[in-house]
Amino acid sequence: MSLNNLIKNWTSFRSRRPYLDQYKNADYKWAMVIDLDACTGCNACTTACYAENNLPVVGKERYEKGHAMHWLRIERYWGEGESVPVDMVPDRGAQFLPMMCQQCEAAPCEVVCPVGATHHSADGLNTQVYNRCVGSRYCSANCPYKVRYFNWWQYADTAWPNPLELQLNPDVSVRSKGVMEKCTFCVQRLRESMDHAKTDGRLVRDGEVTTACAQACPTSAITFGNLANPQSQVAKKWKNQQIALEKDEQKKDENLRGYRIFEEFRTYPSVVYLERVRDLEA
Amino acid sequence: MSHMIKHDVPDDNEIHIEKKFVPKDLDIDKDVSWAQINKDVLRSLDRPRPIFWVIFFAAMALFSFGVYCEKYQYDNGLGVADLNNPQVWGLYIATFIFWIGMGHSGTLLSALLHIIHADWRKPIYRYAEAMTTFSLLTAALFVLIHLGRVWQFYYVVAYPNERWVWPNFSSPLVWDATAIGTYLTSSLLFLYTGMVPDLAICRDNATGARKKLYTFMSLGWQGTDRQWATFRVTYMTLACFLMPLAVSVHSIVSTDFAVSQNPGWHITSFPPYFVAGALYSGCSVIITLFILLRYVFRFEAYMTMPILNKLIKMTFAIAMVWNYLNLIEYSTVWYGANEIAKQQLLDKMTGTYAPVFWGMVFCSTVMPFTLLIKFVRTHLPTLMVVSIILNFGMWLERIQIITPTFGHSQYPWTWTSGWWPSWVQFGIVAGSFGWFTMLFMLYCKIFPTISMYEVKEMVHDQSKMLKAKGVA
Amino acid sequence: MKSYLLALYNNMEEAGLVLDELNNTKLPGFSMKDVVIKSPIEHPELSEKLGKRPVYVQLFTLVGVLFGPITGLTLVASAQASFIYQIRGGRPVVPIPPDMVLTYEFFILSGVLMTVIGCFIGWKLPGNRSPLYNTRVSEDKIGILVKAEDTSIPVINEIFKKHHSLEILGEEKK
Repeated sequence: MSLNNLIKNWTSFRSRRPYLDQYKNADYKWAMVIDLDACTGCNACTTACYAENNLPVVGKERYEKGHAMHWLRIERYWGEGESVPVDMVPDRGAQFLPMMCQQCEAAPCEVVCPVGATHHSADGLNTQVYNRCVGSRYCSANCPYKVRYFNWWQYADTAWPNPLELQLNPDVSVRSKGVMEKCTFCVQRLRESMDHAKTDGRLVRDGEVTTACAQACPTSAITFGNLANPQSQVAKKWKNQQIALEKDEQKKDENLRGYRIFEEFRTYPSVVYLERVRDLEA
Repeated sequence: MSHMIKHDVPDDNEIHIEKKFVPKDLDIDKDVSWAQINKDVLRSLDRPRPIFWVIFFAAMALFSFGVYCEKYQYDNGLGVADLNNPQVWGLYIATFIFWIGMGHSGTLLSALLHIIHADWRKPIYRYAEAMTTFSLLTAALFVLIHLGRVWQFYYVVAYPNERWVWPNFSSPLVWDATAIGTYLTSSLLFLYTGMVPDLAICRDNATGARKKLYTFMSLGWQGTDRQWATFRVTYMTLACFLMPLAVSVHSIVSTDFAVSQNPGWHITSFPPYFVAGALYSGCSVIITLFILLRYVFRFEAYMTMPILNKLIKMTFAIAMVWNYLNLIEYSTVWYGANEIAKQQLLDKMTGTYAPVFWGMVFCSTVMPFTLLIKFVRTHLPTLMVVSIILNFGMWLERIQIITPTFGHSQYPWTWTSGWWPSWVQFGIVAGSFGWFTMLFMLYCKIFPTISMYEVKEMVHDQSKMLKAKGVA
Repeated sequence: MKSYLLALYNNMEEAGLVLDELNNTKLPGFSMKDVVIKSPIEHPELSEKLGKRPVYVQLFTLVGVLFGPITGLTLVASAQASFIYQIRGGRPVVPIPPDMVLTYEFFILSGVLMTVIGCFIGWKLPGNRSPLYNTRVSEDKIGILVKAEDTSIPVINEIFKKHHSLEILGEEKK
């Protein structure tokens, strides 16, 4: 049976991805644009992510040990500004970068998972199958963004003491110790809306579904949508920024702000960041 | 067999011939009789002295502590090991590479030297092979220990199932599992096949339960001409399989790192570098065990100083190969265009893990030069200390491959410093040494650690050679 | 009716002389094919006197090294092909380089296993207990086992004794 598959579809098995117009005829390819100019570093997205995806709050001690589970983290960098002593922070010059799984088209984590617990879905998501994960943590070792989080403890026992377990999202599983997890682009929302759309015999409309972080962002810095639909907000922004999914080096006009992180590693991420514009004179 | 080489030639002539033709030092005393070899080696299987049990139970206590740590980790999750988000592997994978590396020299000593007919391997290859097997068993433990859900480890194995779910064959970890499985199977069969004639000797000299065991294991070997002829072909074929296999296994282990993208790992020279490191650490363990066995079992007649000298020369040569590859690795990174890798290298040498790095440089780069001193080569206690230091250096080498890369990878936000393993990790590492010691001690008391029939061959060949040259 | 006779010798030279003499003696119901040497070490020089006794282990090895990689590659590639949509890391579903690594391991594993199986078959082990055996053979003596018609046994016995045999087993059996 599988041998028949092999012979029949040999060429498609042998193709590397991403290739030009890979999602042209596909229904969905989920992608994101984050405008760093709009990001105020308020952490609302992180909080929303915790609530939506049943992320455990690990506490101060475990956080210090590096056991935090924030799928979406706000990174604070200090840009150009006055220099200050090490133990102080400057008055201005802070910039923020929300970092989550970049849903790479050629994800380094997928190749190395021994059991195939992480792989690529047809709608362009980098999926993680908790039931299949054995916890070798090779995916995390090979992830250049280090956005994969491992369940170092059985968090379910302690993170939601009664009655807090009632706040858990019933659409999302609570992970056990020893499995790897990461941002899913709120796949439970995507699947639900895709199912609804399918029942109605249509595709998901732009804006019909969004991730928890995009929904919670007070400045609308995060845009989420279907890249396969050229009319969607996301597709338009990608196009305006002259960023192509299948290219590892973007040739574009000088004044454009869009970039993808670590393109040189040929991971082909699905998240575009819009660079922050700073007025140094002010 | 000494009488064979006595001939009716004038004395001065004989002296002249010996000066001219006979090698300076024979590997083994030519006058030792075959019966004496049997007796000496079988004596090592006698009822152990009390000190044996003291050491054995100490090793067992160490192992039990390791088991306790593992249970603690199993119950509570890997968090107890103080592994964290960038530092996901820690000592477990470092020690895994250490053990699997140790398992390579046994094959080198046994298979490669057998292929090139280096007879000095004969008295020492058996325990080296046993060490290979046991260190592989220990290494396999670490693969399980480091898993987050060890109870699901069989997902990595390609077993047929009704859901048609297979492992990901592109993953170096699956290559690892395949390669280690192959290597363990093959080296066990190699050890066993080479031991059958000796097991027959044990069978012929044992009584009671041991007789039953040896009778079963020797498969009814009687040393007939047909058996020997088959044996010779089989053993050579297995050696020819084992040598490239050993090289492939550690190359595959190195692809765990070389295939990934991380700075400090993504290096083309990693496979040969790992193989050289493996042989290096393995050879130093062989020296350590050589000295121990020679002392404990009074094997002075077989594990002789000329053989030890050859072993030391081999170790030194391999140490130099390893140093060369190490230098190449650092210098290509240093002169390369990859700024991230360069920063990582700098951090490795000057950051939190600088003591580990420079400790490795001292133990594995500087210390082998002491082997050039004759006193070190001939004074066994000193040599033993040196060999242990070399091996410790190789353990540090594995740590400095893994830990600094996690601490200083591509993404600056995840740079950490000051990470250190918890007592659970150290406990499990210590337990693995207890486990290895237990297995090896049991082996030494159940199976002959010196290949009796091959030492006989060696004595026979030497007499024949001396005779041929003496007459000529 | 055929019987067995086993003689022990101190060294290979004596055993060699016995084999030479057996070779030159024509006896009813006896041929060199029925002579077996039992010795503590390999003895190519003695075995030569027995005539050609081929070893078939290489054939098993050949079967192993052919069977292993072909089966291995087929299994791996078809297992990968059973996941049509599971693209991993942008790589092809059936990537050649990783499969080569696994094929190589299968090549060695199958080769080793078949060689060992071939060896056991060649040894006719386990359980090949030839009727006469002396534990000194595993120590330092060379044994010569002969199977011959009862009428020839005394003659062979004489040949054995002539060359200073240490011990002859199976005499009383006739």
